[in-house]
Amino acid sequence: MNIARIRKKVSAVSGGRVNAELKDNCIVLTGEADSWEQALEACSAAAIPYGKIHVVNDITVKKLVEKPMRMPSVCDKAIDGEKPDVLIIGGGISGASIARELTKNKLNILLVEKEPDLAMQASGRNDGEVHPGIDLSKGSLKHYYIRKGNRMYGDVCKDLGVEFRRVGQYVCFNEAWARPLIALYVLKRKYIDKIEDSEIISGKELHKREPNFNGSFKFAISNPSTGCVCPYGLTIAYAENAVMNGAKVMLNTAVTGMQVENGRIISVRTNRGTVYPKTVINAAGVFSEEIAKMAGDRFFSIHPRRGTNSILDKKAGKYMHSVASIKELAASSGHTKGGGILHTVHDNLLIGPDAVETSEKENVATNPESIEKVFSRQKNTMPSLSERDIITYFTGVRAPTFEEDFIIEKGRKCGNIIHCAGIQSPGLTTAPAVALDIEKMALEMLGGAQKNPDFNPVRKPVPTLRNMSDEERAQMIKKNPDYGEIVCRCEEISKGEILDALNSPICVPTVDGIKKRVRPGMGRCQGGFCSPLVTKIIAGFLNEPIDKVRKSYDGSVITYGSTKKGRGADE
Amino acid sequence: MKEIICIVCPNGCTLNVEKNGGEITVTGNKCKRGEEFAVSEMTRPMRTICSTVKTDRADIPVLPVRVSADIPKEKIFAVMDEINAVTVTAPLKRGDTVIKNVLGLGADVIATSDILSRN
Amino acid sequence: MNNYDVIVIGGGPAGLAAAIQAKKDGASVLLIERENRLGGILKQCIHDGFGLVRFEEKLSGPEYAERFIDEFNSLSIEALALTFVTKIKKNGDIFEIHVVNREGTAVFNCRAIVLATGCRERTAKQVFIHGTRPSGVFTAGTAQHFTNLLGELPAKKCVILGSGDIGLIMARRLTLEGCKVLGVYEAKPSPSGLTRNIHQCLNDYDIPLFLSHTVTRVFGDERLEAVEISRVDEKMRPIEGTQQTVECDALILSVGLIPENELAEELGVSMDSGTKGPVCDEKLMTSVEGVFSCGNALHVNDLVDYVSESGETAGAAAAAYKNTERTTVKLERGQGIMSLVPQMLDLNGATSSVTVYFRSADVLNNCALIIKIDGEEKFRKKYAFLRPPEMERLVIDFSAFNLSPDSKIVFETEVTSV
Repeated sequence: MNIARIRKKVSAVSGGRVNAELKDNCIVLTGEADSWEQALEACSAAAIPYGKIHVVNDITVKKLVEKPMRMPSVCDKAIDGEKPDVLIIGGGISGASIARELTKNKLNILLVEKEPDLAMQASGRNDGEVHPGIDLSKGSLKHYYIRKGNRMYGDVCKDLGVEFRRVGQYVCFNEAWARPLIALYVLKRKYIDKIEDSEIISGKELHKREPNFNGSFKFAISNPSTGCVCPYGLTIAYAENAVMNGAKVMLNTAVTGMQVENGRIISVRTNRGTVYPKTVINAAGVFSEEIAKMAGDRFFSIHPRRGTNSILDKKAGKYMHSVASIKELAASSGHTKGGGILHTVHDNLLIGPDAVETSEKENVATNPESIEKVFSRQKNTMPSLSERDIITYFTGVRAPTFEEDFIIEKGRKCGNIIHCAGIQSPGLTTAPAVALDIEKMALEMLGGAQKNPDFNPVRKPVPTLRNMSDEERAQMIKKNPDYGEIVCRCEEISKGEILDALNSPICVPTVDGIKKRVRPGMGRCQGGFCSPLVTKIIAGFLNEPIDKVRKSYDGSVITYGSTKKGRGADE
Repeated sequence: MKEIICIVCPNGCTLNVEKNGGEITVTGNKCKRGEEFAVSEMTRPMRTICSTVKTDRADIPVLPVRVSADIPKEKIFAVMDEINAVTVTAPLKRGDTVIKNVLGLGADVIATSDILSRN
Repeated sequence: MNNYDVIVIGGGPAGLAAAIQAKKDGASVLLIERENRLGGILKQCIHDGFGLVRFEEKLSGPEYAERFIDEFNSLSIEALALTFVTKIKKNGDIFEIHVVNREGTAVFNCRAIVLATGCRERTAKQVFIHGTRPSGVFTAGTAQHFTNLLGELPAKKCVILGSGDIGLIMARRLTLEGCKVLGVYEAKPSPSGLTRNIHQCLNDYDIPLFLSHTVTRVFGDERLEAVEISRVDEKMRPIEGTQQTVECDALILSVGLIPENELAEELGVSMDSGTKGPVCDEKLMTSVEGVFSCGNALHVNDLVDYVSESGETAGAAAAAYKNTERTTVKLERGQGIMSLVPQMLDLNGATSSVTVYFRSADVLNNCALIIKIDGEEKFRKKYAFLRPPEMERLVIDFSAFNLSPDSKIVFETEVTSV
């Protein structure tokens, strides 16, 4: 690494307004930029791809007003004074999987999540692809973990009662002349990078497997190890299994500060009291840089990147059964990601995501351009795709570092923190493997721990009655008639399944919480018919009036109380 | 001349109303009811109200009701206040009176459903 | 004991009428309803105006439905409420209907099925509204459910998108319950709902109607805080620079209805792109023998009277159904016709008195409906006006036209004078 050269590059792209210095083994950028894009350009110029010396972004962007992190409205002492062995910050796929692996040991584990549910940010807002690793080269942590993670999926999902399908992926090519080159590339992957499942298939074979794909494809890379999973379903399952095995999960709990002495975290402040953990795991996604900073251990920077996906009606699910993307050799450059098409575990199609840099970590509002762009590209793969089949769309924010690799390591200046940061695609795929390594690091930090003799890796999911035979279903209904009362007609969800979700280890009694767990409202009517019924069931469960039920956040009331408040009560 | 939309039936005829001193002439109507509507609209507009009243049942929190005859348009919110002030108890059949001669307007508020017909 | 001549799926106005008619015609009938009470969407349509054609009375939705329910009960027709059809299989000439309810699972067999499954509402995402995902965005029917069945107020200050009848009715309903309705916005240059509803639901309460405007974005992380409204051009695309933000706590959508035909599609029934319902003959039998369609599953109606009528047609035909060969000829939509039912005729059946429903694609004054057969005008009916929101009904004697399966029968509209 040559800091003088980096400084020159940064100076060149910023017109001399940004300076780069090597400080504490970090490339620290300071100065001023006119826009977020300009600052990003400087940071990217300074970054060493997959490097261990990270860019720290201290550039001031003119007129950029950073929104403070959204805080939960609750303020109490629910966890005040607790002394967990491990405090995990963040209830995404990373935090949840780490919590579950740690419960194999006799430890006091506390997971805090600022949102009202698990998997509310990137882990609940991605495409659910379990990647094969075809585009990852040796030397990166992404590459190191992806093969292990991918291989673990079958067993992990089986234990946790989460549906996982190895549907295979096709990277499709229009250019026949490129086939020998791509064949060589696949060989390199196989023998050098050890990504071993890839093979080249002909256009004819592709068409046989996926008849609705564009007939003009000349060949494709087939990656049969590719799978799909419900990403928030898996996150919730991990967290539930952790709770079953003794971990504590606190939602609506945000870390606001830390007391650090002599390079060790003494206490962590939250809106629900101060806790005194022995070790801290930073799995805070887009906010992992802030957590590192609180610990006096900020050696990397996160630059949020938005991605928007669309979900298509199940009717469109019949068009294809795998994961597909198109490789346009002429047009590929940088992060202009046009996404792909994926047949989900729920038999919808998912189209996306795109990739758009942003300064806003929590802005998940959607924009029409994202969908238009992705659709126009994906129609090249499958001409029968139609925007008319869209039932919903959503945006997530990824949390990459400028090096575009994961950070999975013990603190550099703080002695009792482990960072699981910079997690972006394929972070869902790698999570099971990463969690095992972080468990090891934590045990080293704690000086070992006894095994948890009661650890049970198996989580029994809420039964999915629509997938059962009539006979099985009748048996279930005999035991509990609520399983025979269909509430959500689009997804065929019974009242019994909704009540099971409400009685699950991590109860989130909101319309969105139930929707994520058992899917009422995920279908084509988007809750038009069932949302009043679900609201009523939740109110009944809570023994509260309907206006006390929330969609998700505290302020997301659904109704304003009875229409019949008596004489002249309008005001 | 005034143009008004007839609301008596879904045809929604456009009625042309002419007032000549005390006499009102209506054109554009397809039926007699249209003429009556136009005349009433020019003198004292009348409307119906459909709403719900509170019940004492948790499983059926409200019962649909309407007025048995049209009421003056300007009394709509006054009648709504009356409707929102009562709580009904089963049994109550479709057509049963919920409020007798509401505000002395010569119309009753009546139940429009049998959902409370059984205890 | 699980065998019936006719099974009706759906206990709203169409299904009730179909079951009653089939029973009166001597068939053994079972009606399956997924909700806990019969009546369908009419249960929550507490406003008046139903039944003017049929009963010459202004009834509320529940009153209209309950008149049919009373008759249904007096005929001792079997019904299963809170029962959901999971799949339908065809076994020779017999349909096997698999259901689930609180008792367990069951299979019922029948010769003929009447699908009376109604319709659903288009959602915010289907009209491409972007932004955040707060609470407070409702379809009009959902808002109506909260207000009229649960007695809960879903809004205090709201914007309504779409001038469909349910949206207009909800504007008045919410106003009566103390909600401030800031305005009804409609992307089209003309209203989607009936003229009388514009008058009695909006004008009576001084609620403004903004044509050629749409909601393009919603704001608010928790509850809805505001919506962005844009003017749209003649192709209904938002015009850049016309955006304005309106603060409100609810957005209520009345942006169209879609016939629910998932069961029909599973049975392989051909669908019509105009009605979004099944292609049917004059007896309302679909392309699959023994499967009939009626009500809003067949095509979206604006009058319940016609929903009941189509139910009776389908119910009678289902009761009389014998698996005899059909010789069909298509009825085609030509210039100016947005939707047409039926879409085919069975020349082996009675075609002397066929009830036809159509919608004009445009607002026309002094116009006519024309039927051309092999290019030649054979039928003409004059109208003072035709409007897309108002479905027209007429009875036509097709037996007079000497039709063959090769005849090209096209329905068109024409402006007769200016």
